[in-house]
Amino acid sequence: MKLAPVDYVILALYFAFVLGIGWRLRKRISSSGDFLTSGRSVPVWITSLAFIAANLGAVEVIGMAASGAKYGIMTCHFYWLGAIPAMLFMGIFMMPFYYGSKARSVPEYLKMRFDEKTRAFNAFSFAVMTILASGISMYALGLLLKLVLGWSFTVSVLASAAIVLAYTFLGGLTSAIYNEVLQFFLIVAGFAPLAIVSVAKAGGWQGIVARLPSNMTHAWRYMGSPTENPMGAELFSMIAGLGFVLSFGYWCTNFLVVQRAMAADSMSAARRTPLIGTIPKMFLPFIVIMPGIAALALSKMNLGYALPLKATGGPDYDQALTTLMAQFYPAGILGVGLTGLMASFMSGMAGNVTAFNTVFTYDIYQSYIRPGAPDRHYLTVGRVTTVVGVLLSIGAAYLATRYNNLMDLLQLVFGVVNAPLFATFLLGMFWKRATAQGAFAGLSIGTAAALFTLSSTVAEGKGGWIANFHTFPSQMAQNFWIAIIAFTTCFVISIVVSTFTTPRTDKDMEGLVYGLTKVPHDHTAKWYQRPAPLTVIVVVLLLILNIWFR
Amino acid sequence: MDLRVPSGWFFTLLGLILLGMGVFAPETHAALTTANVNLYSGAAMLVFGLFLLLMAWRATRLEKGSNT
Repeated sequence: MKLAPVDYVILALYFAFVLGIGWRLRKRISSSGDFLTSGRSVPVWITSLAFIAANLGAVEVIGMAASGAKYGIMTCHFYWLGAIPAMLFMGIFMMPFYYGSKARSVPEYLKMRFDEKTRAFNAFSFAVMTILASGISMYALGLLLKLVLGWSFTVSVLASAAIVLAYTFLGGLTSAIYNEVLQFFLIVAGFAPLAIVSVAKAGGWQGIVARLPSNMTHAWRYMGSPTENPMGAELFSMIAGLGFVLSFGYWCTNFLVVQRAMAADSMSAARRTPLIGTIPKMFLPFIVIMPGIAALALSKMNLGYALPLKATGGPDYDQALTTLMAQFYPAGILGVGLTGLMASFMSGMAGNVTAFNTVFTYDIYQSYIRPGAPDRHYLTVGRVTTVVGVLLSIGAAYLATRYNNLMDLLQLVFGVVNAPLFATFLLGMFWKRATAQGAFAGLSIGTAAALFTLSSTVAEGKGGWIANFHTFPSQMAQNFWIAIIAFTTCFVISIVVSTFTTPRTDKDMEGLVYGLTKVPHDHTAKWYQRPAPLTVIVVVLLLILNIWFR
Repeated sequence: MDLRVPSGWFFTLLGLILLGMGVFAPETHAALTTANVNLYSGAAMLVFGLFLLLMAWRATRLEKGSNT
């Protein structure tokens, strides 16, 4: 793929706007709260779009098109089943506790509700994972730009990291969130035309249905059996593993996304953030997954288009998106598409960096290294941590170039660390009898159960380091089952240990637990600003989409 | 800062660049399509950019009205 001067102009224009937004917002920073939590002042339409944009990193955009080509329309379940229900639950049931508790981060909520060691467990594992995640996405972007455009890995990694650093350093979380919205618009502008022209070329949705095997164009019909559907996972593990444990664990407890909602300017806005976010979220598959499905259909049409092959054989699905861009985009819109890819990378990385600096400053530095310093000191620490976070991410990106399996390993680690967490939050928020000892025991034994399952089962030739009790039909099925087992273990152990330990008094837990928290009813809000009617609209839309593509 | 202002300007400029490409170089297209992708997506981006600017302008006017 070759870029024309106009494409570089578009890329430069985007960088100028991103840095300009950071520069304009620098004056709003006068305390650590302004820098790390936006001083709870961001309008709701902005937090809603940032909520979904922070999750829409380059790895996701490239990976969703790749999965579209590999698994077909079933990939939409990562959105419809694996995100929307959890986002609704978060807005309706969990946000009142997060926002109402005045906690500045998810680990800090754990400290208020349980104790110091549960917070430490969550803060440290989260800090390590955000750095690795942003390093991996930097690595993926660098590789792709090198492959497609021949740009130097080092230059593209360092330049994009420098830009993210500049605007997050200047304007903190507000700048990251404002830019995420611009980035979201740009991702849509860069990829929607590709979805339209590539699907049209493949003969529309009817043409795609006619060209592909039936299990690639039906989201539900083949879910019953793991041998018939392309994901190799069966109905129960899809719904319980992906639709419940993994998605609720991610969308309801991962500080990266929760932080966006917590930056909203009121409780009502914080609750509406994930609810409003579901609407663009449920239509994103048409932009990010559809091109992948169209690419597969096009490769069966004798147009001279084929998915490129990997060195090891088999199609390289990760190149579906970029090869389509090369085939369909002339100079001009090609620049927009490429800028969209850069934007997705930046939104993902800035999300990680801003979550990392908050957790480090408040939950690690202020709690364990130097408590009780004046706020100015923590503002400086927050800024320094931003720089350190970016440097560590660059280090992680280079680590990934040396160890090819790092990415596989990381996905497994995410599963192992994230899966039991949701059980802890569920019990913490809705069962006032849950104790700190119960939560910590459940979390540690749940994580151990996840690790044990991983190392005693095999999928696609991986895992099973200790023994092999079971072979899963696919890695995805294995991931889902690890999550289910970790969640159940954590849930049961927490309940058992809690019943044998002394609970805290009700007075200590006001605002932290269901039944001891007044959920505000905003009577002045118009009907479309209230959670219930919004949820009904979302559920109806979601049902229509699922029935349409069943 | 109202985010609609910079976003609106960004998409207005982007739309104008693409629209210009679509009008003055209508024959540039990639291998698999003959559609003038620049023209249509440029027009859509321009409309979106102007819409954001209009909304921002309306908001400042309402704010001024309520202050006086």
